Amino acid sequence: MRKITLLLLSFAFMSMTVFAGGYQVRLQGNKQNGFGLIGTPLSNGSSSIFYNPGSLAFMDGKLDFELGGSAILSTAAFQKSGSNYQAVTENPVGTPFYFYIAGKIGKVVALGLGVYTPYGNSSKWESEWAGKYLIQDIALSAIFIQPTISFNFGEKFGIGGGFIYTIGGVEINKALNYSGGAGVNLQGSSSAMGYNLGLFFKPAENWSIGLNYRSRIDMKIEGGDATFTIPKSLQGTIPTENKFDAELPLPANLDLGVAIQATDKLLIAIEFDWIFWGAYDSLSFSFEEAGELLDSQNPRKYSDTFIPRIGIQYAFSEKFEIRGGAYYDTSPADDRYFTPETVTLNTLAYTLGLTWNPTTYLGIDLSFLQTFGIKAEKNYQPDNFGGTYQTGAIIPGLGLSFKF
Amino acid sequence: MKTKYILYFAVVLFLASSCKPEVNDFTPDAGSADFSTYVAVGNSLTAGYADGALYKSGQSYGWANILSAQLKQSGGGDFVLPVIESEQGVLPGKLVLGPSTDCLGNVSLGPVPANDGDLDPWNNHIDYAINNLGVPGAKVGHLLFPGYGNPANLPAGLANPYFVKFASTPDITVLEQALSMQPTFISLWIGNNDVLGYATSGGAGSEITPVADFAGQYGYLAQNLFAGGSEGILANIPDIANAAFFTTVPYNPIVLTDQVLVDQLNTAYAPYNAAMASLGLPYRVNWSLGANPMVIVDKDMGMPVPEFNIRQIESNELVLLTIPQDSIKCAQWGSAKPIPDQYVLTVKEIKNVNDATEQFNNIIKQTAQDLNLAFADFNSLMKQMQGTGLVYDGITFTTAFVYGNLFSLDGIHLSPQGNAVVANYYIDAINATYGANVPKVNISDYPPITLP
Repeated sequence: MRKITLLLLSFAFMSMTVFAGGYQVRLQGNKQNGFGLIGTPLSNGSSSIFYNPGSLAFMDGKLDFELGGSAILSTAAFQKSGSNYQAVTENPVGTPFYFYIAGKIGKVVALGLGVYTPYGNSSKWESEWAGKYLIQDIALSAIFIQPTISFNFGEKFGIGGGFIYTIGGVEINKALNYSGGAGVNLQGSSSAMGYNLGLFFKPAENWSIGLNYRSRIDMKIEGGDATFTIPKSLQGTIPTENKFDAELPLPANLDLGVAIQATDKLLIAIEFDWIFWGAYDSLSFSFEEAGELLDSQNPRKYSDTFIPRIGIQYAFSEKFEIRGGAYYDTSPADDRYFTPETVTLNTLAYTLGLTWNPTTYLGIDLSFLQTFGIKAEKNYQPDNFGGTYQTGAIIPGLGLSFKF
Repeated sequence: MKTKYILYFAVVLFLASSCKPEVNDFTPDAGSADFSTYVAVGNSLTAGYADGALYKSGQSYGWANILSAQLKQSGGGDFVLPVIESEQGVLPGKLVLGPSTDCLGNVSLGPVPANDGDLDPWNNHIDYAINNLGVPGAKVGHLLFPGYGNPANLPAGLANPYFVKFASTPDITVLEQALSMQPTFISLWIGNNDVLGYATSGGAGSEITPVADFAGQYGYLAQNLFAGGSEGILANIPDIANAAFFTTVPYNPIVLTDQVLVDQLNTAYAPYNAAMASLGLPYRVNWSLGANPMVIVDKDMGMPVPEFNIRQIESNELVLLTIPQDSIKCAQWGSAKPIPDQYVLTVKEIKNVNDATEQFNNIIKQTAQDLNLAFADFNSLMKQMQGTGLVYDGITFTTAFVYGNLFSLDGIHLSPQGNAVVANYYIDAINATYGANVPKVNISDYPPITLP
């Protein structure tokens, strides 16, 4: 335990540094985090509620809890086209977390409940930076609550599904080109519903296949608060307190993975994720008052992305496992509609993780990811604002699991 | 074994945390140019004149000053302004946006006289060497005229108070003073006033410089400026008829809501219409409910009776921003009383302005080619700002007054953000011609027009 304290201390000394792939955050289990973010072809206990409800009923034991989280320390760096101007984000630490509980009833059925946070974005540029008329800062978060049922047919075939209830919130600040430090603050929240379906197939003892589909969820903000800080002479035209509607899609995911227990100790898996980012075509705002002046439709033109992943795990004993992984996440953003509100570049990442089971009931999972956004020149044409972006993130995570 | 792996884990964490993303791919470079002594020669635009005045902060937001700071990063030297100490300016006339009450008691927002303290005494002579030789009001010929900076010539109107303020000796020409700086790089943006004076007086005041004179003066000026082998850039003249000064006031502001008044006006103009009909001329003045075009004086009609040199304005003719709006609203200007000539550019006058601008611009472009200089086509930039305009850093620029962001409150000179756009346009042309890598400025770093 003393060693773990040491490790946590080294977390505290870390400087801030980005995450990638639109505003999706797949850090929903610290075993999977260390394993290239692969979870679909595995049965890792209650975290299967997120990764593949189809494998949930393959859990060991009668009752399983998992809880944990990660700290996303991300940075985006920017250099403006044709200029030596540079800017770096001061992003707050992103903190995705998860909590799962599942229980097995008989041999066939498992029931569970998961609370997790698969989407989010917190980007903060300096308030007076060159792109202040596009974005100063954005904080987007969504919490998913998912009751789940899963069936295990003869330890060979699993099917499961969950209903998702989402609570989300967004806050955006941007400057307006009027004198006196003018700007607008937009804040809104929303709830929506979706589902998560999974299939799991274990043709032999040493290999397994998983297929998972999580539905698209549209976060509709209705009657969000818009606060305009503007010169007095404009306040007759633009009300300082206003209401707005907006909609942000949380895209669907289709994941397919295969895991092979190569030896008693060695587990290898690959996974392919298809993210239906094409759903994010534009971000529109409509305002209750002065709409003819304020309403805007902002193209985003995202495209679907495809992520290949690999993970390798080695078990030294029942008590101790180490693992690693890697993946390549392409940017869903269009080169011409790339906005600094979500700096999403083609990203390479490696992952590391270890699990220590002090007792048969308790597991402690540590994970660490580092992502490398590949430097690229991008432009947001509607605002004629572009430059070269680079991103990076380090993401330590800690999880606990309990098995009875 | 566990200890070892946990330690490895910590080491990876530590190493990872020390590498942060950074982008630094731009190295400023002068290319084949030498920016060590940059001198800007021109008129009010070069001086940093804005809001109807040359004042301290406006001067520092002038494009030449902005450009000089970027050139400095690419091997340039200091750029010394003839510093104006007052925020009110040197001569009266500075405008701010503020509320004003019209003759009908309606309060509206518009340019009103500024009150930013005392004027800078114009006779407070600047004795240090300066790099910005922008002289507000100067035409091409003025830059060659000895005595343009001599206070003794002021009463006769042959000297310019701004040049008087910073001429190094009374009878030096602007050209000579520029050469005395031994410039390695020169910008020359001149010629605007050779048409502007005519245009801003509605064709009634100063004449357009004859093309032959312009060609001779411009050629002499440019050849001598660049005779020493310095490099530089020439800029052409935006078609001034696109400026907010000429496009803000509509041609048809006479809004009639009362049929009695419509009938009275039609009755009053009946003899005019009859006379025009009898002369076989197409001019008619007709009034109806709603928006009506103004009646203007047009001396080019050449009627035998001068009182008949009036007609209703066409929709493609321009009304100047300086027209007294209260006279339209309350003193029957434009309806019972024709609008004086100096507030209107008629189709013929617009053509004079356009033709001269085109010919002057041909001369400027040819000179740039002959002397192998960079060339900034502001006429084309300004044309692109008509209609939906151009966007930089999320700011939309159009030729519209105030909300177009391009013009300052006088409707002719640039706003700080407009100056920054112009500076970047110069940089593009310089980089292209000299293979240089002069960094551009962020337009969003410059303040928007101050609204109360």
